[in-house]
Order: sequence, then C-alpha cells, then structure tokens
Amino acid sequence: MTVSTGNLIRPKSPETPSVALSVRNLSTSFRTDRGLVNAVSKVSFDLHRGESVGLVGESGCGKSVTSKSIMRLLPEHVTRYGAESQVQLDGENLLTYSERQMRALRGNRIAMIFQEPMTALNPVFTVGWQLDEALRYHTKLNRTQRKARVVELLDMVEIPNPDRRYYEYPHQLSGGMRQRVVIAMALACEPEILIADEPTTALDVTIQAQILRLMKNLQERTGTAILLITHDLGVVAQTCDRVVVMYAGQVVEQATVRELFHDPAHPYSRALLQSIPQSGKKQQGKRLATIDGIVPSLFDMPDACRFADRCDCRQDLCVTDLPPISEDDDSGRSVRCHFPVSDSSSTRSEV
Amino acid sequence: MSGASDESRSLRKFLRHKPAMISFVVILAYVAVAAAVILGDLVSVEDCERRYGPKSTPGFGVSQLFEKRLQDLSWYAEQIEQKLALRQKLKRRLQSRGVEPTNEKIEQELRGLRIGNLRPADISAEDFQIRLDSLWNTVAELDEFDDLNNPGSDTTTIERLTSAAEGQMRSLYAEQTPAEARHRNLHLLFGTDVAGRSVFLRSIYSIRVAILVGVVTGFISVAIGSLLGLAAGYFGGWVDGVVTWLYSTFASIPNIVMLMVLAYMFRGGEIDAWLNDLTGDRFGWLIGGTLDETLIPVFVAFSATFWIGPCRVIRGETLKLRESEYVQASQVMGYSRVRILLRHILPNISHLMLINFSLLFIGAIKSEVILSFLGIGVQSGASWGLMIDAARDEVLNDFFWQIGAATALMFGLVLAFNILSDALQDILDPKHV
Repeated sequence: MTVSTGNLIRPKSPETPSVALSVRNLSTSFRTDRGLVNAVSKVSFDLHRGESVGLVGESGCGKSVTSKSIMRLLPEHVTRYGAESQVQLDGENLLTYSERQMRALRGNRIAMIFQEPMTALNPVFTVGWQLDEALRYHTKLNRTQRKARVVELLDMVEIPNPDRRYYEYPHQLSGGMRQRVVIAMALACEPEILIADEPTTALDVTIQAQILRLMKNLQERTGTAILLITHDLGVVAQTCDRVVVMYAGQVVEQATVRELFHDPAHPYSRALLQSIPQSGKKQQGKRLATIDGIVPSLFDMPDACRFADRCDCRQDLCVTDLPPISEDDDSGRSVRCHFPVSDSSSTRSEV
Repeated sequence: MSGASDESRSLRKFLRHKPAMISFVVILAYVAVAAAVILGDLVSVEDCERRYGPKSTPGFGVSQLFEKRLQDLSWYAEQIEQKLALRQKLKRRLQSRGVEPTNEKIEQELRGLRIGNLRPADISAEDFQIRLDSLWNTVAELDEFDDLNNPGSDTTTIERLTSAAEGQMRSLYAEQTPAEARHRNLHLLFGTDVAGRSVFLRSIYSIRVAILVGVVTGFISVAIGSLLGLAAGYFGGWVDGVVTWLYSTFASIPNIVMLMVLAYMFRGGEIDAWLNDLTGDRFGWLIGGTLDETLIPVFVAFSATFWIGPCRVIRGETLKLRESEYVQASQVMGYSRVRILLRHILPNISHLMLINFSLLFIGAIKSEVILSFLGIGVQSGASWGLMIDAARDEVLNDFFWQIGAATALMFGLVLAFNILSDALQDILDPKHV
C-alpha cells in the first residue's frame, strides 16, 4: 500500500546546509545536598539542516543531560544553566524561554524519541489515538485530515496495514513496530530537529538495522536534522554525518564520521575505537583493548584535562592546565587536547 | 485483532463465567431493591417502626408451642379490644363536640394501633362482643390445662381448642383479599422482633442503608484519594509533603476511634445549628431533618478515614508513572501538565480506582454494620447493624430470625461482591487468557 506523501512533506532544501540548532557553551549544573554539581560544561556544537550528528560517550558523560537541556526537560527547581549558555533555534535562546513557549516548541519543532519503545506508548490508548493527539495538539487539521495524516505517517514508517494498526493498542505491537510508531509520533508535526536518545539500544540487531535505515530514509525525505545520542559507535558509523565525542561533561572531539574513524585526534576517541571488539584473524588471541581507570567524580573534577588520568600519552601540561577546544576550521573539526594524535597508523581503517 | 473485538471477548468471557454472572445478578437485585426503597418508597421508615404482629414471631409460619400460640392470639384479641374501646371513646368524644363521627376520622386517630394491614371486621359492636366472649371462653378452657407445653395425652384436645380459638380470633378481623394476605405473609416472612416489627421489612430497608453507605463513601473516598494521590505523585514538592503528612496523620489515628469521635460530633445538634445559622435555616430543609437523622455523619466519618487507602496506592502509582517513558514522551510532545495528568496518567490508574472502590464498598458496609452495632452508626430507621444489636437478647432465647435475616442479607451482598471482583480480575487481566 502506498500513500502519496509528497504534498505534506517539507521539501529538502537544496541550498547549502544552514544551522538548525546551535548549542553554545552549554553548562548544566544540579543543586544537590553536596552542593552544585556540574554535569555538562561548556558544550558547543552545531546541528545543520538535514544532517545527522552523533553524540557519543560513555555512560554518565552528559549526553542525556545535554539533550534534555536542549529540550528543557530537566526539573527546573534543581537545574542551573551557565550564564553564557545558549541553545539557539532561529537566533532565539531556548534557555530563556518560558515553559509555555517551550511547550509550543516541543513535539512541533523539536521532537525527541526515547530508548525504550516497549513503554514509550501509553498502554490504554490506541496507536491511532496517540498519533492523533499529537496532531490535535499542534496542528489545526480537522478530524478527517488528521485520520488521513496518521495513516500516512504509519505508512511512512513502513508499518503494514496502517488502516488496521490505527485501532490497535501498543501491547498488540512488537518492539520494532512500537519504535516505528514512536518515530511516526515524533515526526507527526514535521519537526526541524529530532533528538533520538539511544533509539535502538533496546532492540535486537536486525530490528536495529531496520530502524536506523528507516530513520535515514525519513531524514532524506523530510530534511529533519537528527541528533543521535548513543554509546554505540557502530550505530554512529552507519547513520551519522558528524560525531561529537563527549567525556566527563565536555566535548573532547568533533569531526566528521570519516575523520573520526580514520584519524581520531583525541586520545579518548582513539581509545574508544580500539575497545570495539573486532572479528578477523588479525585480532585472534589478542586481548580486547580497554581504557584503564575511571571517569573522575562529578564532585571532584580536576581543573586540568579530565582524561589525563587515563591517557596513554599524558604529559606534564595535561595535569596542570585544561586544554582549550581547538578552533573550528572550515571542516568543522575541533579537539580538546594539548597534544592531539595525528598519525593514522595506529588506528584501524574500518569499524 | 482490533480493540473492539478485545472488549467483546472480555464480555463473552464474563457471560460464560457462571459465578460472576450469578453474583452480578445478585448485586443488581440488591441495587434494584435499594433504588426502589430510595426512589419508589418501597419500604418507608414508618414501615420499619410499625408493629406487624405479636412480639418474636418466627418466620415462614413455623409452627410454635401451644403456649406461644395462645399468647399470640390473646395479643391479637387484646389489640382489637383496645381498639374497640378507643373507638367507642372517640365516637363519644366527637359526638360531645358535635362532630359527626365518620369512620375515616376514627381510623385516622386509631392509626397507632394498626397491625400491619389487618382491619377490624365490619360488624356491629354487639357481634364483636359475642365473638370476643366465645374467644375468651375457649381461652379459659385452655387455661385449665396445667402445662400447655407438655400436654401428654391431651395433645389432640389442646390442638383442637387452640385452632378453634385462632379461628375465632381471625373472625374478629376483616377477611383479607388474596393480595392483602400475600402482603401480610411477606411482612411476617422472617417473623417479628421483640417490638412486633417486621424483620423482613427492616432487613429490606437496611439494603438501602448498606448500598447508600457503600456507594457514597466508596465514591467520595476514591475521589478524594485519587485527587490527592494524583496531585501528590505528579507535582511532588510541597504538595506531596502536605498530602503525605495528611494521610500519615490520619492513618496514625485508630480508625474506629476516629469514626466514633466523628459520629459523636454530629450527635449533639450543635453542628446542625451552626450549619443552619450559616445557610439561613436552609440546611435542615435541604437534608430533610437534622444531621443524625440522616446518613450524612456516617458518610463523613467513613470518607474521612477511607480515602487514605486509595490515596497511598494512587500516589505511589503516579510517582511510578510520572517517570515512565510514555509520560516523558508526552512531555516531549509538548502537552501541558494538566493534560498529561488527566489524559495520560489518570486512565492508567483507573483500574486502581475501580479496585479500591470495590474494596471500600464492602469495607464501608461492614464498618457501618459494626458501628451501628456499637450504637454510633445509623441512628434512625433500620440497618443490619442495628438489627444484629437488637437481636443480642433474642439469641439467648433461641430466637434467631432477626440476626439470621440481617446476617444472611449482608453475607449475600458481600459474597456476591467478592466473587464478582475476583472474577472481573480474572476476566480483565490481559495476562490471563
């Protein structure tokens, strides 16, 4: 069954990619019993229209806090944003928006999908009802238009028999199906930005591949900018254009996927790539490389390079001074390291 | 499978589930009776208080000892003698005042002496005297037997004489139409209590009390509990603090003491006076009497303590749901907090509201019985608790009709409700195929 989607989908702009979302010096702290804890500090990156950016890093490095700060989903009464922090959408700083202004934005211009598709849908309403609600809330379509649009959305995310699925409850769908519905819901109002917080972690690899391919296809059709949060470098390699590597609340490296995988500049990026299990004769009998040590505590963040403790090529400067993030050159590549690695001989050419 | 067929499958399952169907019908019958009492005036409070026969008559026309039969028929005879004497007196008084003594006027005055729907026979005063004399003669004959309860060889004579006396007694009352006879049999179905009131009518009237108490307190408690629980769980912060403090405080007061205090509070009439002052005497008019003549104190007392259960459960569930992915997802979709609370969380706790309602319904009925038994629950009219309380002395004398009727009806309702909620759980549980 095919439904024409041409007239409702925003055409992909052919001109040079412009910035959809710009995060500048984002610092997010939480007020706790033990004082102010800085979870994310001075994170900056841009998200261009029609582009996929992977936000990678290990657990607790601030990926989710960054994305929730962008969406302003963190509990207001314990969250503090740094003075010079900015999340810019169309030149306006979202951090200064009121809750009401944010509500008008969420789901409409910025959408977000979560990790766990099994519970991301309300179990007491039909799939159709929930998709319909999003349209009812954010658009002025009438009932029949909404119904048509919902069926079209379900068809767009490649759910077979969308007419029938409209009336089904979430428990009647498989995990992959549900994630498709979640994606459909996120895309219902044609958002400019889609933040996907580990969208495939809970799915098995076959479905994972399908969902990633679907997201890629949809992005090509709708021109939505995707911020993909993941700790799976494989997913990044498969879907993203650019990567932002985070470590202990800071951006340590920004590069295109190709650059990062072929020539990681930051020791942490390199260590990450090396700790991916690799099949093939070359690796047989070898121990998997790991990164020694642990991430420094949020309460006791060193005033120097945060990775210094675990770094193979640590030098004196690393433990005394915080390295600045290198200037963006035209390629958009930057790194936060005093002594960036430059030779590519030690890294693998593929993942 | 679409949602519609899912629901019809539950319905089919329910229809096939015999215990569930039976208990459902039983509950419907109770509710129908309660509705008929409330709306259709099937049994009025006056009916509960009126005498329908001699004291402590067994139900179902169970044959009694000769002595009791003799006592009963003497009672009927005395009633009609009193009635006749009063009638004469009234007639004379009306005549002396120059008022024509019509039958209606006299009957109106004599209403207090009515025995159910029995009317005096439509005969002259002389005929009455003749029939009464012959009755008393037969009774005198019977009195010659030393021990009516152990008559030895004379059983047949005593039986003959007693039956004859009963026949003569009946001739004093007007012949009943079949409908009237049926009614009278129904009124005496479970016999009478120590004051000659109909146990059947009292236990039927008690259904009204039980259903009202169950439904009203169940509804109010669940409403308050859900509202506070939802607010506490969803908004957290100081709202949660206040609600938690409230229910912890209420929960720390022993339930029954709290109920007693509240029940006593409404007894003195000060609250009535205060409310009437406040509303310009409209309050008494609105509820049709003073507070302790109504069930309102019971509703208030029960609701004040019963909301804790649902509140605690629903607060916990809301806390859990607030962090659930689909609530976060609705937040991400930009829905307002009120919308998330009412459209997304509320439907997901509706099963808890239902379960708590059914628990509280039964709990309230049982508590009402206990409280009325203790004398601080229902004050006027009838209730199973009052009946069981009144039956305390009767039970010692091997007379079980009142306590039996009250307990059986309560048992039926509670059992039916428990079976139904159990069955519904089986039927509606999606994990249970």
